Amino acid sequence: MSAVVERRDGSVDDADRACLLALLALPGMGPHRLAVLLAGRRPVEAWEVVRSGLGVADLGPGRSLRGDVSALGDRWRRAAGPVVPEALLLAHRAAGVAVLVPEDDGYPARLRGDPERPPVLFCRGRPAVLGTRTVALVGTRRCSGYGQEVAFDLGERLAAAGVTVVSGLARGVDAAAHAGALRAAGAPPAAVVGTGPDVLYPRSSAALWRRVAEVGVVVGEAPLGAPPERWRFPARNRILAALAEVVVVVESAARGGAMTTVEEALARGVAVAAVPGSIRSPLSVGPHRLLAEGASVVTCAGDLLALLGCGGAPSPVAVAAEGAAELPALEGAVLDAVGFEPVGLDVLADRLVALDVPGGGPVRLDELAGALESLAAGGRVRFDGGLVVRSR
Amino acid sequence: MLASVQSAVVRGVDGHAVRVEVHVSNGLPGFTVVGLPDASCREARDRVRAALLSSGLAWPLRRVTVNLAPSGLPKAGAGLDLAIAVGLLVASGVVPEAAIAHTAFVGELGLDGAVRPVPGLLGVVDAIRTDEVVVPATGFAEASVLGRHRVRAVPDLATLVRVLVGEEPWPDPPPPPPPCSPPPPPDLADVVGQPVGRRAVEVAAAGGHNLLLCGPPGAGKTMLARRLPGLLPPLTQEVAVVATRVHSAAGEPLPATGLLTNPPFRSPHHGASMAALVGGGSTRLRPGEVALAHGGVLFLDELAEFPPSVLDALRQPLEEGVIRVARAVATVQFPADFLLVAATNPCPCGFAFTPGACRCSDAARRRYARRLSGPLLDRFDLRVIVGRTEAGALAGPVGEGTAEVAARVRTARELAAARGVVANAALVGAALDRHAPLSSAGRAILERALATGRLSARGFQRVRRVARTLADLDGEAGPLGGGHVALALQLRAERVVPADVGEGVA
Repeated sequence: MSAVVERRDGSVDDADRACLLALLALPGMGPHRLAVLLAGRRPVEAWEVVRSGLGVADLGPGRSLRGDVSALGDRWRRAAGPVVPEALLLAHRAAGVAVLVPEDDGYPARLRGDPERPPVLFCRGRPAVLGTRTVALVGTRRCSGYGQEVAFDLGERLAAAGVTVVSGLARGVDAAAHAGALRAAGAPPAAVVGTGPDVLYPRSSAALWRRVAEVGVVVGEAPLGAPPERWRFPARNRILAALAEVVVVVESAARGGAMTTVEEALARGVAVAAVPGSIRSPLSVGPHRLLAEGASVVTCAGDLLALLGCGGAPSPVAVAAEGAAELPALEGAVLDAVGFEPVGLDVLADRLVALDVPGGGPVRLDELAGALESLAAGGRVRFDGGLVVRSR
Repeated sequence: MLASVQSAVVRGVDGHAVRVEVHVSNGLPGFTVVGLPDASCREARDRVRAALLSSGLAWPLRRVTVNLAPSGLPKAGAGLDLAIAVGLLVASGVVPEAAIAHTAFVGELGLDGAVRPVPGLLGVVDAIRTDEVVVPATGFAEASVLGRHRVRAVPDLATLVRVLVGEEPWPDPPPPPPPCSPPPPPDLADVVGQPVGRRAVEVAAAGGHNLLLCGPPGAGKTMLARRLPGLLPPLTQEVAVVATRVHSAAGEPLPATGLLTNPPFRSPHHGASMAALVGGGSTRLRPGEVALAHGGVLFLDELAEFPPSVLDALRQPLEEGVIRVARAVATVQFPADFLLVAATNPCPCGFAFTPGACRCSDAARRRYARRLSGPLLDRFDLRVIVGRTEAGALAGPVGEGTAEVAARVRTARELAAARGVVANAALVGAALDRHAPLSSAGRAILERALATGRLSARGFQRVRRVARTLADLDGEAGPLGGGHVALALQLRAERVVPADVGEGVA
């Protein structure tokens, strides 16, 4: 996908830009097909090839299109008929979406040299934020409370230290990382999305999406209106990996989107780090495997800052197990029983039977509840949907 | 010749008095029933004819017209067979008119002349204004529940005729059935561990608070719910009569005493139709599961799988204690004052609370989250998350049995009765302020919960009611202590499905 858009004078005019958009909007158009079409052609020429329906069958040497090429050519020709490329470009500009090609100054420098760099990058917000120090925080959408808290904390502390947090705006780890970074009001966050710049997906992240676009930047290689499609997300992950200096896996199963991001990072020589978790948690299998293979351990934002070479004092994410001593006896015992994962009242009651509770005898549920409310008032625990969670 | 016989039919759960007029005249032999009979009612002609002939009686070869008055009331079922047969016998001069002047007749006839039971007998008998009522032999206990009538139970038409013509005295009522104790309800002692679930069931029984149990499969939600009716006190006479009437009208089996005294437990499947749940039908308007739960427990397992329309239909009974069913023929009202207990998984696979274990699609999880949200959750004062019992606790000591807990429940209900309500869940307004004042510790806890958005203004009142019940169960009078308020608050999870991570973090 390299060396395609340059003209002799090195600049890209609006006609090329518009034709690129038109090519991208064709049905079934992906990075591979686009690359084949643009091999040795300017976008304007490639568009002409598609529109005339000529030459799709003999598209340049070396790379070729798989499948029924003549059917594809027919499909493209029919789809291209009513398209006015200039109108597409105007629509993007009207929507406040910048259309960046590698020759543009705004195009992220880290992507420009990438072997699979996107020929076009759609961008909402300020792409300049991608030029600073960047860390990608990735992980599963179905993270645990632990993963969510760690992602939020890392996001917040990295942003406060001036590091741009990059993630994918998905549910779970991504959303928590962005939310943390926004909270810090430090370095603005960046998001790489798999949908069009006007398709706020997933819906649960819509508010976050707007905030990130407002404060930082949202980039992607899908044009306006592109719906979430399965194949777009692994493709998005390669951009995420390419934009980062370090990719941190917070929580992930042995396979999944986060692990494909890691593969892309390794292919590009980007450093990989992982957050350890419980060896019993299926969501920490991925990070643990990476750690075994030599990824850096992340226990606090300081670890990452050190990895980036910006020093920084260690600021532990870990919950300090201090402070039980000065609590009244029952509250101390209850706090110990709460542990570090969300826990239900019944499990707590069971655990307290085993604990040496002052005063003797089984703890009554109302005493337990009263102690929990006191701990909550003191900010040591909080209630989350019927479960008790230790506060940080 | 003309005869007029008293009887009654049931519609919904209530009886309606019907006068059966039989006219026998000269003309071509024939038999007509008028007065809005339904199909089964019109077929009385064939049953009555066969029953008369089988009983050794003559069928008049004349023109017979039967009118069911009031003519505007649609009549369903075969319960008027006996009255039609008696009317025919009076009109044809076999039975003297004086013998039936103060007697009503209810029963379906078999072709052999046997008098068979009819559904809704209790409601039917209630509508009868004569002193004496003749019912099928099997219905004697049920018909005697009201105690307003001299109930005569007859096994067949031939016996009845011999009595009416004065050849025989009324047959003895069937002997009261041997007191066979029903199988004991499942015992709470079977539930191992689950301190919170057990407590929640106890509180629900004591205070009449609706209960939602949420947890993974195998946590024991259904097991707990099934043990709830055993904790409830027996039905009062008044409620028992109403509940019996509903069961009778629905054709549900009744205990041998004829009166339902144990609180019913109904657990309709989520696939049941709307009519099966709330009641309905074209003419008879049979009561549904919701009415059958009157005085007892309505248990909805897999709450999120019930169609929204059904859950919506529960609003009226939960607020008013009755459910009205409107059909073209009529609108009927069923009693439906029950304790609602529901169980649900947090997501279709049930493991949403275990990190990494849930295999449901996002859409499926969202569907559950949407169902198990605001308006539905609001109907439950107690929303409890039950976990799987940890292996260690399974070997622990056996918990209290039903008998011990039921005793505490009874005491708590007596306290509520002294406050002028059936249970604390019915405490409202000034009565709540008077009977459930807050201690300073309790007030501090609730104010903090209000300030942090954990509790709504409505929830505030509900938590106080539950706290009142908790204190009653522990035998503590006076202002509600911090422990009880805290527990009441924690037994009311603000969410029963895990939050969508990413939602609300911005």
